[in-house]
Amino acid sequence: MKKLADYIPDLSMCVRCGTCRSTCPTLITLGRETASARGKLSLIDAYIRGEIELSDTFVKHISECLLCGACQQSCPNSIPVPEIIMAARAEVINDRGLPLITSAIMKGLREPDGFVGKTLKLASFAQRVIFKDASHAGGMQSRLPLPYITDERLVPPLAKRFFMDIVENVIPAQAGIQTDGLILDSCFRRNDNGLEASSGEKTTKVGFFAGCLINYVMPDIGLASLKVLEKAGAVVIVPRGQTCCGMPAISMGDFEDAKALALKNLEVFEKHNFDFITTSCATCTDGLKNKFRKLLDDEGPEMKRRVDDLCSKVRDITDLLVNELKLPAAMSDLKNSTGGCVVTYHDPCHLRRGLGIKDEPRELIEIAGFDIKEMKHPCRCCGLGGSFSITNYDLSSEINRLKAEDIKGTGAEIAATACPGCMVQLRDGLHKLNAKVEVKHIVELLADRIS
Amino acid sequence: MLSESVIRSLQGIAGIDNVLTSKEDRLCYAYDATNQIFLPDAVVFPSNVEDVSKVLKLANTERFYVTPRGAGTGLSGGSIPVSGGVVLSLERMRRILSIDKKNLIAVVEPGVVNFELQMELGRAGLFFPPEPTSLRYCTIGGNIAECAGGPRSVKYGVTRDYVTGLEVVLPTGEIMETGTQTVKGVTGYDLTRLIVGSEGTLGIVTKATLRLLPFPKAVNTILAIFNDECAAGNAAAEIMISGVKPSAVEFMDMTSVKCTRESERFDFQVDSGALLLIELDGERESLDRRSGVVRDICLREGAADVRMLPSKKEVKDIWWLRRAISPSLVKIRPDKIVNDVVVPLSGVSDFLQAVRKVEKEKGIIMACFGHAGEGNIHVNILLDKNNAEEAGKAKEVVDYIINMTIGLGGTISGEHGIGMTKRTFAGMELHPVAYEVMKKIKGVLDPNGILNPGKIF
Repeated sequence: MKKLADYIPDLSMCVRCGTCRSTCPTLITLGRETASARGKLSLIDAYIRGEIELSDTFVKHISECLLCGACQQSCPNSIPVPEIIMAARAEVINDRGLPLITSAIMKGLREPDGFVGKTLKLASFAQRVIFKDASHAGGMQSRLPLPYITDERLVPPLAKRFFMDIVENVIPAQAGIQTDGLILDSCFRRNDNGLEASSGEKTTKVGFFAGCLINYVMPDIGLASLKVLEKAGAVVIVPRGQTCCGMPAISMGDFEDAKALALKNLEVFEKHNFDFITTSCATCTDGLKNKFRKLLDDEGPEMKRRVDDLCSKVRDITDLLVNELKLPAAMSDLKNSTGGCVVTYHDPCHLRRGLGIKDEPRELIEIAGFDIKEMKHPCRCCGLGGSFSITNYDLSSEINRLKAEDIKGTGAEIAATACPGCMVQLRDGLHKLNAKVEVKHIVELLADRIS
Repeated sequence: MLSESVIRSLQGIAGIDNVLTSKEDRLCYAYDATNQIFLPDAVVFPSNVEDVSKVLKLANTERFYVTPRGAGTGLSGGSIPVSGGVVLSLERMRRILSIDKKNLIAVVEPGVVNFELQMELGRAGLFFPPEPTSLRYCTIGGNIAECAGGPRSVKYGVTRDYVTGLEVVLPTGEIMETGTQTVKGVTGYDLTRLIVGSEGTLGIVTKATLRLLPFPKAVNTILAIFNDECAAGNAAAEIMISGVKPSAVEFMDMTSVKCTRESERFDFQVDSGALLLIELDGERESLDRRSGVVRDICLREGAADVRMLPSKKEVKDIWWLRRAISPSLVKIRPDKIVNDVVVPLSGVSDFLQAVRKVEKEKGIIMACFGHAGEGNIHVNILLDKNNAEEAGKAKEVVDYIINMTIGLGGTISGEHGIGMTKRTFAGMELHPVAYEVMKKIKGVLDPNGILNPGKIF
């Protein structure tokens, strides 16, 4: 990863025109220049020039960024603001060290069967003690105010069974797995590499990367993904030993742990000689496809070759389904629509700006039989920003409120998106507005359609 | 520096959270789009007119400077706190108070972003004609302070033509209401127009009554490509006297065009020369005929190609390109000196010729773009300020351009304002008596000289 000082040429490209003010969600919400990209770049510039220190105020302003990339997209000079912010956060970590808890979690994630996995499994049993059910809204709420989690926040429960465990424990060659109402009709078999779904004359070999939210919280999205990929004619493998994509660490500026996670995932996935590697999490896709290269860019030519090979295969599931597996054609037999049920689509930042994908998700929603009603600002960030929503919950909630009101304003029955992180956030925001809007992943809409 | 007691008084007025004093916070209110840095001693965010009034009264008793600021996107340093003191940021006063469709009037607070107002008006089938190039992020308060123009002013006029009344806090802290809620009105002196374009030196606008227009029924966008930029200048002048009433006649030389990332989306088929971007609005039936007139003029003046932009996407792209030029010039040289001169229409071509002559002589790159239909050309002198030789030459070029403009009967600023960047030239253009009257007005309204010092004069 580049160091903060490496961005001096980029910083000099900021002429302080103010264009970023028109798109920055934190600026729009806080209404202060310090929240804009222009303000933050000015602070970073002043720090590099030695005018200010890495003070608490500096750290606070640098933390008030979702890394959504809206500023970079609107910037006439395409300044890579999110990267610069991450590098500034890394500078702070170098200076102050990583908070102990963060450090422990990140190190734990390197070994998914290690203590983090075990702790989460325990928490999966114990969560009902602290949290009360709010499943009507797709989550639960704390019975008491907790550090970082207020009692009004709707949080997703940990899954009863984690995705990787579900796919690990499939009986070989069993036709039909039932998990929480979702049935996989195809023939799955387990081999040494993990779960494999295969039938017929399939030739496209796809590796599925689950990611933390799908694994620990929303395994149904993972299972729906497998089902849809299989319908689209792919041989799907969920490699064992995969772990966190590293994006939470990167966004905090913890490049060292992110690098360790990247190396682990690289080893796990490159063994299979996949045609494609896919995820149903926009953030993970952006992490695997774009951030890996940057994390491992100073490891020599051999590593560069391995990373390039891996990254070139990574595709978001919406992109893969439409452009490679031609799902629309495979689903042409399902013509009848769902009877005018209206869906509005939220563009995840990592998908729209990180990967430039905007048409494929919409095409898939239509294929699933729904009418799309666009919201006013479909690609404005939902306000989650990974750990941002924990450290800056009030700001995150306010940004989320704007998004939820935008969704509510469409009158849609379903808000669809392609990122489990956004889903967690949208459910919380819509719940606060008392809006009767269901939040679904596109693959869930497709899987329902296939059933 | 402000004393502890002044800071406490400011906190008492605006609330503790609305007074910033840390260096980090002040650094973010030290600049505008001229990219110069002058640190204020504090930043205060008033919530209402009373807060503004109290701050100014305090400034007069405690004798500190106050510099009002909207979004900080100006190009003449109008919102930069040159002498320190308080930056009064109006970002929090951003409510659209009313939109009266029947009387074509809107009442807004100064911190409303131009584009947000346009979006709201669009829902009612209306628009506010002043749309400076920075419309997506600049504020109405800033537009009023600078009397902003923009591409549409060639047909519709500038900000002063669309402000009918104001609530203003005078430098002494008194609250004054000016103007009318009606389309016309001549009772007494036109204090509204005195405030509009006064660059935040005579008062702080806290509420504005704006005149609106119904949205035009249809728009045609035409792109004319010229190998010779003087021919483009001539075509612009011809279009203006042809009677087709364009709603935009934008000139962009190829140096300006090519530095934008949007230029990759077009095949202009020329490397040098210039583009004219012409927009016509009105009844659908009239557009084709008027577009034909524009095309004929451009071809007659030597255009290599004239294109009617067919899709919304291309129209959007070409306007993004136009708006991206000013900030994109940094790709050519690290610094720029922005000139905003206006010359008589018939002189645009001669002016451009003279600019190129001096560009060649001095060996300094100059990018020219702007509102050619009004003779308003933004001549950007591109340089590295750290290079003493270049900086010296650039200064000579600025003097030359200003002198030539005045010689041609033009003005040194069409829409950016004098601010801090052109104050040494204001006296050259203004009639000496007019200049003295202006100073007297400033002295009467701001006897202690606390409001936005170091600007205009």
